[in-house]
Amino acid sequence: METRILHKDHLVPLLRRLSRNYRLVAPVRNEYGDTLYSVIHDLDSARIDLDQQPQGSLKPFFFPQSEVLCQYALDRNHDGGQTRYAFYPQLPENRPTLYFGVRSCDMMAVMYMDLIFFQSRGQDIYYARHRENAVFITIGCNHPFPNCFCNATRTGPFLEHGYDLQLTDIGEQYFVETGRARGRKIVEAWSWFFSTAGERERRAQFQAALEARGLFSSLVHVDLAIKLLEEGDEPTAVFTELSRRCQDCGGCAFICPTCTCFNIHDQPRTDDSGERVRTWDACTFRGFTRMCGDHNPVDVETQRVRKRFLHKLLHDVRHHGRTSCMGCGRCVGMCFGGVDMIRFITMMCQYEAAQETGE
Amino acid sequence: MKQTNSTPHRKNRERARQFAQMSDNIYLPCQARVDEIIRENDQVLTFVCSFEDVLCNKDFSYVPGQFMMVSMPHLGEAPISFSSSPTEGTGFRLTVRRAGRLTSAMHELKPGDQIGVRGPCGTPFPVRELEGSNLLFVGGGIGMAPLRSVVQYALANRERYGDITVLYGARTPADLCFRKEIGLWRRQGVTCLLSVDHGDENWTEHVGLVTELLDQVQVSPASDRALVCGPGIMMRFVLQKLVTLGLEPGSIWTTLERHMKCGVGICGHCHFEDRLVCWDGPVFSMAQLPDLENL
Repeated sequence: METRILHKDHLVPLLRRLSRNYRLVAPVRNEYGDTLYSVIHDLDSARIDLDQQPQGSLKPFFFPQSEVLCQYALDRNHDGGQTRYAFYPQLPENRPTLYFGVRSCDMMAVMYMDLIFFQSRGQDIYYARHRENAVFITIGCNHPFPNCFCNATRTGPFLEHGYDLQLTDIGEQYFVETGRARGRKIVEAWSWFFSTAGERERRAQFQAALEARGLFSSLVHVDLAIKLLEEGDEPTAVFTELSRRCQDCGGCAFICPTCTCFNIHDQPRTDDSGERVRTWDACTFRGFTRMCGDHNPVDVETQRVRKRFLHKLLHDVRHHGRTSCMGCGRCVGMCFGGVDMIRFITMMCQYEAAQETGE
Repeated sequence: MKQTNSTPHRKNRERARQFAQMSDNIYLPCQARVDEIIRENDQVLTFVCSFEDVLCNKDFSYVPGQFMMVSMPHLGEAPISFSSSPTEGTGFRLTVRRAGRLTSAMHELKPGDQIGVRGPCGTPFPVRELEGSNLLFVGGGIGMAPLRSVVQYALANRERYGDITVLYGARTPADLCFRKEIGLWRRQGVTCLLSVDHGDENWTEHVGLVTELLDQVQVSPASDRALVCGPGIMMRFVLQKLVTLGLEPGSIWTTLERHMKCGVGICGHCHFEDRLVCWDGPVFSMAQLPDLENL
């Protein structure tokens, strides 16, 4: 792996050069004080914020909250009153996009979405169009945020693979690691922005990564939770309690970088035409599994949050060999009912401990 | 618990190839034409369909147990099982009970109208694995539709299968589907036993639950394979009874119904524990079902 140094003063000029070839997306602090991954149209006026965790993930860029899949049209008068019914796909444009300042958890989440949308099952051409031509410059988290637990899910605070370039803040400079070919091309094409890393910088990067691992404020027993679930120790009482507290808002799933459930519905535009639209959905919604005739195979009173936690901590481990919780902690800040990943794992481990001591 | 994904990559490639026959966009429906509508009863119609595109008709293939995602104007899509067998010529049949908005709209269709279809989706009945066995079908109501597909398939390949027995129950005689075909099946040597919850003055066959018909047939655990489809509560009792009659859970096959949106294992709606019914199913062997409570 090649390592380089990028002086902080050179960052904006580098991004300016790169924005000639790429649409630029980075964490930007907006006028309301929120930091969100946003498309940057004007680098001089945008306030790139690498100090805060972006409030949302990169999910909407690859899997938009609402996306037209196709248009449909009816021709009722064709061939003596018989109805023709035709579909016209509407594919998104695939602009080369540079995602800058991406946190480890969010990069890992994109790789998880790849599994869902085009590696294990039929290729999703809509996702593929968003995903093609994407370049990622990630940034290691020197100071994990209060709700973060990516150390427990092994998705951070620094990446070992998956990035094109990974930056580490080592004071006046960024330590730059090159990952995939597109990252190497950037370093080669704009080589005058980068200098060779020496032993001192390498040590500073190692030190920063080491210190970051000791700075997590939450101790979350993800491995224990997985083990208990794999052993078949389902905490029914915890699911019942959490289902009661879930307010059905879907915030956890919408903020989650790896929740990819969706609905597809038709949106009529005229009597004879309309759009087929895909929108985000959430397995915690009461009607998620409801079939016609109001039959629901899932008992919503006790089990609607069960799927969410089992999917992330048990089913994905079974199918993909790892959890689909990236430890970003966004659901912790989002849920006003306290139905989040940290709460679930903590309650489950406490429940287990109580069972063992016979309390 | 037994895992099903023994050769996931080969399976995925095959499934991707099936879809590629129709379109490189897994969400884009094809136009199919309703050629004929057969009235099974007041609530159930069978639509005999073929693709508008001649090439689609030529390339299209499916296996009993698979389903199509059917589109109706302004109403989105619903998964509907094939009730026909690929041995019945080109095109396919969908047998539909009037149950919700989309199926009600289908009941307004006229011959010549177009519908949108995507598929075939799902894992089929293991028709090759069943070769050499006696087939015992237990159907309830509209659940007979996917089973009809296998019965037709087995009759078209008669030499490959042993005895065929069909046990079919419905609420009343008027709720039974495929009445004419049941007559044809009987003439071809299929044992067909019918049951209704409430008979009428012309009803001469069994009155009661379909599970009671199982007492009238000889079940041989070594050579019989059972295929079951019907309402959840019926399936639960039938599956339990088949096990008490000595059938191994791995010899009993069923097809599940779930709310589905994508039909290709992405949208997450049809989850059943760690499986997705549209991709890992809808056909499951009983050995793959963790419990029978939520069928």
